[in-house]
Amino acid sequence: MSATLLLARRNLARNRVRLVASVGGVALALSLTLALDAIYAGVANQLTTYIDRSGADVWVSQAGVRNLHMVASWLPATVTDEVRAVPGVAEATPILYSTDTIVAGDERAVAYVIGLPGGARMGGPWDVVDGADHVGRGEIIVDRGFAKKAGVSIGDTVTVLGGEARIVGLSAGTASLVNSVAFVSFDDFQAMRGGAPVVSYVLVKVAPGASPETVASAIEREVPDLTAQSAADFAAQERRLVMDMSADVISIMNVIGFVVGLAVVALTVYVATLARRREYGVLKALGARNTALYRVVLAQAVLSVALGFAVGLAFTGLLTLVVPQAGLGLELSIGGASLVKVGLFALVIAGLAAILPVRQVSSLDPAVVFRRGAVT
Amino acid sequence: MLLARRNLFRDRTRFLLSVAGVATSIGLILLLAGYRLGVYRQASAYLDSTPGEVVVAERGIRDFLGTTSTLPAGAEEAVRQVPGVERVIPIVSQFVIFERHGRKDGFFLIGYEPTAGGGPWKLVEGREPAANDELVIDRTTARQHEIAPGDTLGVLDRTMRVVGLSDDTTFWAGSIAFARITTLESLLRAPGLRSFLLVTAAVDVTPGTLRDRLAVPGTEVLLKADVIANDRKLLARVYDAPIGLMVAIAFVVGVLVVGLVIYTATIERRREYGAVKAIGARNWTLYRIVAIQALIAAAVGTVVGVGLAFAAGTALMAWRPQFRVDIEPAAIGVVLASSLLMAILAALIPARSIARLEPAEVFRG
Repeated sequence: MSATLLLARRNLARNRVRLVASVGGVALALSLTLALDAIYAGVANQLTTYIDRSGADVWVSQAGVRNLHMVASWLPATVTDEVRAVPGVAEATPILYSTDTIVAGDERAVAYVIGLPGGARMGGPWDVVDGADHVGRGEIIVDRGFAKKAGVSIGDTVTVLGGEARIVGLSAGTASLVNSVAFVSFDDFQAMRGGAPVVSYVLVKVAPGASPETVASAIEREVPDLTAQSAADFAAQERRLVMDMSADVISIMNVIGFVVGLAVVALTVYVATLARRREYGVLKALGARNTALYRVVLAQAVLSVALGFAVGLAFTGLLTLVVPQAGLGLELSIGGASLVKVGLFALVIAGLAAILPVRQVSSLDPAVVFRRGAVT
Repeated sequence: MLLARRNLFRDRTRFLLSVAGVATSIGLILLLAGYRLGVYRQASAYLDSTPGEVVVAERGIRDFLGTTSTLPAGAEEAVRQVPGVERVIPIVSQFVIFERHGRKDGFFLIGYEPTAGGGPWKLVEGREPAANDELVIDRTTARQHEIAPGDTLGVLDRTMRVVGLSDDTTFWAGSIAFARITTLESLLRAPGLRSFLLVTAAVDVTPGTLRDRLAVPGTEVLLKADVIANDRKLLARVYDAPIGLMVAIAFVVGVLVVGLVIYTATIERRREYGAVKAIGARNWTLYRIVAIQALIAAAVGTVVGVGLAFAAGTALMAWRPQFRVDIEPAAIGVVLASSLLMAILAALIPARSIARLEPAEVFRG
């Protein structure tokens, strides 16, 4: 086998241009799949940031609402007191929530606007880098990135929920690829909606020692017409939303990455074999069996794919470091499952890519070596 | 020219490989461009198909799909009173998530008044919603989730009955569904809620003039075309970077494949090129031979690639009908130019080895 490897390695290394093209092509194709998986995983992580950092153990929403992203949830305001009365509930904070556009000068950005009651101990900003960490009437806390981009700061006015609000604080970690999170007062939010006595979600902190799952079931049992989920379940639902809704796009991109990788490796291994026909002929004339030559070809394919995989992984790894610095609010995250999938892709590609040159070698006439002139 | 053709066609597998390389690359680029256009077209389907030239939204909101608009109370009456207003379609819109067979999917739910308009524009089965628990959903979504007219579906805290199926109502994040405006008001616990007004101008008033006249406090008044453009910008933020990345990768792969094939063909013909040099040919003549080879491969590859893109697009839409792929003549033009560029770049790869070729090589044993 070591002779096989040696031959394969030499064959590959002999022509540097070809090696670079082959490894580069595979790396590009594989990082296409890897990077896309990483983008979706990153987006899913960002989506759950608010849920993870809200401080709530249980999320109560309108019956049938199991997500936060893009949706609406409206409950009668009386629900908060009913939830508070459920055993195991230590604290309950109602919030209002809507997807809105914040306008500051020429800058407009989509934001999740959260209406916070005065003195709320859950659901507020978790990392205020400048200014106040709570909002009163006519006030707003916006994401630091948005403020920087819009060129506004504390004391400036933005348009939100159809009215105006003055920035009193800047928060960090509240931006994602598509939106940021902004905090306004509960009363402002309610007034904008015509003053109807409703809330969007009730955030619940459970009593020490109580399990969020048990308390969630108790709330659903005792208060009619609502959905209660532990924060972990709620975040899991949110991640599933991204995955379910992008599953088809991801599989299309996977197919494309696969086809491109296959085409590149097949071609380079084929060309490498073609260029070495004479040498293969010599080996045959010396008595080498076809299987031995097949192994050389296969080893070449596997080697170039393995190298390509390593380069592709390094490239994607580099992207996960560089992209978050670009200020797009985009974050990448490479998962184990994605690595295994792309690794399997690479193996299949190497196997398939070897088929064409293998046929070529098997039909090779050992006598070719004794002919004079160029080989076609 | 003769040399180039002979060189290229001598080995049929190699020729086919280079054509396949260009075709894959061109096909991929066209398919991606068509997919992107399809996404954009689908995104504006509702506004394109609903009457009205001017859109009234909550102050600060300039798009239709990305945010939840809430108009101030009384905005609808105020708009109706403005001279030059011919017709007003009030709607309530809200994105909702539903779950079937353990898989989440999204509805862009539109609440409308059947007498005022704004409902499904292509009802292919059943009827419009008449009661508060009735719903018209997209035909493709219905097929995918195995929902037939008469079936029920959980939407927020209601159980609703599907009474009709509409066509051309899928888009990037699910599909459009229709219910009565009162259904949305009660679903969202907001009596009198209006998200948008679609306003048609009287015959003697231009949309631009009407937009300027509609100065209702707490609202944003825009031409429908501008709202559509803003929705596209929102989509572009999410879509354009990945699609652009993939188009770039497809392009590089195309160059690599053609370049490699021609490079190999050249290396193997070193002797012959040497002979041509020895009888007095300039480097320039040899470059031309190489470039023509690349151009032929690229031209054939482009023709095959365009066919491939149409086939792949049709297959994709059959497999997942919610995707729309629109391949336009303009995109084919761009792709032609890029294949030409590919051929030129690919020809550069073997050019160096030709230039360094010693004419004497031909005389060596």
